[in-house]
Amino acid sequence: MRRVLAVLAILVLAASACGDDRGGGELRPVTFMAGFTAQANLPFVGVYVAHDQGYFADRGLDVTIEHSTGGGENLQLLAAGTVDVTTQDAAVLLQRRDDPGIPLVSIGLIGQTGQQAFVALADSGMSDPSDWAGRSVGFKGTPPPDVFAILDAVGLTEDDVELINVGFDPRVLTEGQVDVYPVFKSNEPDLLERQGFEIVMWDAADYGIPTLGLTYVATEDTVASDPEMLEDFMAAVIEGISYASANPDSAIDIVMEYVGPEGDAAHQRFILDTELGDSVSEVTDASGIGWQTAEQWSSLADLLEQYGALAPGTVIEDVFTNEFLPGS
Amino acid sequence: MRRGPIVAALTVLGLVSLWEIVVRITNTPEYLVPAPSAIAEHLGSASGLLPAAAITLLEAVSGLLIGASVGLLLAIGITFWGHLEQAVMSIALLVKSTPVIAVAPILTIWMGFGYGPKVVVTALLTFFPVLINAIEGFRSVDRSIHDWARSLDASPSEIFMKIRWPSARPFLFAALKVAAPLAMIGAVVAEWMGASSGLGRHMWVAYANLDMPSLFAAVLVLTMLSAGVYRIVVEIEHRTIRWA
Repeated sequence: MRRVLAVLAILVLAASACGDDRGGGELRPVTFMAGFTAQANLPFVGVYVAHDQGYFADRGLDVTIEHSTGGGENLQLLAAGTVDVTTQDAAVLLQRRDDPGIPLVSIGLIGQTGQQAFVALADSGMSDPSDWAGRSVGFKGTPPPDVFAILDAVGLTEDDVELINVGFDPRVLTEGQVDVYPVFKSNEPDLLERQGFEIVMWDAADYGIPTLGLTYVATEDTVASDPEMLEDFMAAVIEGISYASANPDSAIDIVMEYVGPEGDAAHQRFILDTELGDSVSEVTDASGIGWQTAEQWSSLADLLEQYGALAPGTVIEDVFTNEFLPGS
Repeated sequence: MRRGPIVAALTVLGLVSLWEIVVRITNTPEYLVPAPSAIAEHLGSASGLLPAAAITLLEAVSGLLIGASVGLLLAIGITFWGHLEQAVMSIALLVKSTPVIAVAPILTIWMGFGYGPKVVVTALLTFFPVLINAIEGFRSVDRSIHDWARSLDASPSEIFMKIRWPSARPFLFAALKVAAPLAMIGAVVAEWMGASSGLGRHMWVAYANLDMPSLFAAVLVLTMLSAGVYRIVVEIEHRTIRWA
């Protein structure tokens, strides 16, 4: 009789375990779209590692990973409901919330400082942005508020420099088509130095200018209707980022599965190391990776408003939430 | 009265109306698919579109003229010196097969950020159809007419001017009708890769800002320009070739 009871007890336990869909039951489909092609941007790495290490599956999620070309279609697909979570630059999130009014919410701010900076060749003789006077300064697409803020910080104006749309190929700097080139801190500086060029870099944050980087984004609808999924998703990706921080070599091996054999692992490591450095701040020291404050967002919004990149009236409390982050 | 244009206009009107109705009924946000009325509204208020269109048109026409001239000169060269054909066609195919987006940044590195790279990209896209059609045209001369001219002791240049050139003109206009809209696309693609003005730049900014009415308005302007350039080629063809 005891043996029969023991077998029944095991069967009941097994059945109850199977009934917990956050454990080993049927997985819940979720679509994540990285905001650019596969590379070691930290928010992407968090997802790659969480997928590879089973952190999503542990939480009952079956995450499909897609990649955007970087043109903004990730936000359109998010708004259309085709994608559940994506990544976006914090400044762009504010701008797209305002116009055309996509209801985006930051659910985890991974880049605690901005992604972009400006570089010149070391032998150009420039050591400070005040040396930009009379030089050509590049931008990608549209001039970012950062460039005007840096000019302001050193007592220059837009009229003191020649602003040029330089596209995305840093060789225009090395071939002398432009004097100051805009870079993503985790990308072009490594490419230029590997080509044998010494550079000098200026980061807006070093001049007291508020900047923020990449953030995980969902829509207001998803935040309201599916908080459990977002909580599980964010717990998994934060665990993935922690893993990458502790095991960068292993994380790069995982990243390379997405980048493909044509990718350069050493360059991906540069991206990861740079973005790990930018993922920490006083805010994250106090609360954890991904945390964000109203002060951070309002400082950025004020900067964008000051330089005409954002209309006044952003309701900062609607822009972000920490409720899905571990420890909230 | 010709019914063709009326049917075409009604078809376009019907499709645009259907588009408007579907967008309104489904309440589709403007940043996903804009209604034609929103595009029209933007078209009416966007003062920057006209100067942008003028710059793109200038780049496209310049590139088309250069590309067509190069294609034509190469075809003439091959007609007179047949042994050049393999070398020229190998290089032409190589250029034709190279994706423009791979070449455009290199051209910017060489030539800077002005109109130069855009014109060259357009020329690279347009020279090939002219080259191929011109070669075919120059060779399409009836053999008996060619032999008759030779029997009258006509020189190669006389044969070319009096027989080959007239025979090649329909082929050339066929090539230009393909190349003209292609030139507009070439200029826009080159601007998209990095420019401070032009329709491609306008589209890039609109796309980056998810400003779909602005993007669609620019596309509409591009389409109208392409149709206009095509129409001009057809008109020139009608005026220079009697039977066309």
